[in-house]
Amino acid sequence: MKRAELNEFAVEEEGFKLKIRRGPNGVAGMPVRGSNPPFVVAAEPAASAAPAAPTPKVVAAPAGEVEEAGVIYVKSPMVGTFYRSPSPDSPPFAEGGTKVTESSVVCIIEAMKIMNEIQAEVKGTILEVLVENGEPVEYGQKLFKVKAS
Amino acid sequence: MIQKILIANRGEIALRIVRACRELGIKTLAVYSEADVQSLHVQLADEAICIGGPRGADSYLRSDRIIAAAEIADVDAIHPGYGFLSENAKFAEQCESCNIKFIGPKSGVIAKMGDKAIAKDTVSSAGVPIVPGSDGPVSSENEAVKLARKIGYPVIIKAVAGGGGRGMRIAHNDMSFAKEFHVARNEAQSAFGNGDVYIEKYIEKPRHIEFQVLADSHGKIIHLGERDCSVQRRHQKLIEEAPSPFLTPELREKMGTAAVQAAEAAGYENAGTIEFLVDAKGDFYFIEMNTRIQVEHPVTEEVTGIDLIKQQIQIANGEHLKLDQSDITFTKHAIECRINAEDPARNFIPSPGTIGLYYAPGGHGVRVDSHVYSGYQIPPYYDSMIGKLICYGSTRKIALERAYRALSEYLIRGIKTTIPLHRAIMSDPVFMAGQATTAYMEDFMNRTPSDLFS
Repeated sequence: MKRAELNEFAVEEEGFKLKIRRGPNGVAGMPVRGSNPPFVVAAEPAASAAPAAPTPKVVAAPAGEVEEAGVIYVKSPMVGTFYRSPSPDSPPFAEGGTKVTESSVVCIIEAMKIMNEIQAEVKGTILEVLVENGEPVEYGQKLFKVKAS
Repeated sequence: MIQKILIANRGEIALRIVRACRELGIKTLAVYSEADVQSLHVQLADEAICIGGPRGADSYLRSDRIIAAAEIADVDAIHPGYGFLSENAKFAEQCESCNIKFIGPKSGVIAKMGDKAIAKDTVSSAGVPIVPGSDGPVSSENEAVKLARKIGYPVIIKAVAGGGGRGMRIAHNDMSFAKEFHVARNEAQSAFGNGDVYIEKYIEKPRHIEFQVLADSHGKIIHLGERDCSVQRRHQKLIEEAPSPFLTPELREKMGTAAVQAAEAAGYENAGTIEFLVDAKGDFYFIEMNTRIQVEHPVTEEVTGIDLIKQQIQIANGEHLKLDQSDITFTKHAIECRINAEDPARNFIPSPGTIGLYYAPGGHGVRVDSHVYSGYQIPPYYDSMIGKLICYGSTRKIALERAYRALSEYLIRGIKTTIPLHRAIMSDPVFMAGQATTAYMEDFMNRTPSDLFS
């Protein structure tokens, strides 16, 4: 990006979204996670991440991420495995378009054989589900992108 | 076969464990708090999982989240480091029931030796000398006073659930005893949630000399000699060295044997330390056992040439201890200075903040174990130790002079540190003569102008 003197770069394809913006110090910002990222340049170190990069990773509110007004995130309050439905054959708790209130159960995070129902704790409409079913999640990881109401 | 280890700790010890794992070809998983995102060990570990908010209680003490991380990342073992959950018997038990190897002794042994009174009973029945005192907690002030007179003043009143130098009061006579007794109980209740106290003879101006032990899971136990940790401030160690300038070969042999007996009586496995107080006559008394790796382990590593963290991992792997007692010799003298982000000229007030420029000393006989770097922001949520400087040489004199030289080179800009204090101690005649007891620091601070260590 620096060679081409680009400051912003966006690509959107079926199931894949990538947006990079150069921050004020000339460093490329973090890619926004699409619903199905095909390669791993993790914004946060994930459980099954590729070997650590030689430079420190930047986490949370990176310079490049575009924050739209009224967008909030449901973040994981624990460490475990993310499940979208109460059981394999049930429909998911929440998906794009679902309206949620603070006490709506949006997913299950399983840890040590205990299924924990996770509440949204925000009011609004789900814009995007950010984690795949069955993926491990860490504390503070963004699970759902929500348009606040 | 251990192939992946979760490091349930932070700072310099987490980095130390990552390094040992690297050399053994073992994969590492760092669990970290939101305050430690930029931590060096998090960047160097193969994988990393955030387990909570900045406060220890929200992250490094959350055994549920640590075990959850261990499960989703499919680790074989957990190294607990020191502090945090390293001596938490319940956490060790949780690891055992989840089939994750806890790198340390069994949970039952941690529980047994973690209770100061039970620990004393355990070792004394094996013939290890203990400090005369109450057999367990005292039930009333009456009983306590009678016992204090029987032992002979001065006596020390200690919290049963205490440790690390906290929850202790000294009484020199009947009058002060009543007051100190009640203060000690109240302090114990609020600090540890357990107001039980026990009483011991207070040994005046003792030396704190501890012995490192290694025990495999097949019953073999050896000791790796002593560390003299007499230079302490408010019971927190500042400087440790090996060998102790006080011990004769005969006393070393006696105490080493006692240390192994104590570990045997405890049913110990993995690395541990037996702490003794030694009086001016050379009488020694067991005070406690630390059932974990210790901060000052590099001192023993440099004088014996043995990598203690690797030994811990190999023992946890079920391997037989390849070292015999006769293999253990001290080939050098080593001294460690704990570098804290504190201002010694202002009563050691903590000095968190951003390190502007960091330059660590080097050269022959200099080892630096530190997780900090230029630009690192010291989080205010944890202890103030930012590194350890270990200097060694063929004689004590060389080691001290080397430490003085290395401390003079050590640059940490942007925060206050205890580097100047250590430098002043290295050139202090009492310390240089090897005469420091646990009373040393107070005396040193009283007679040394503060601009010498600011």
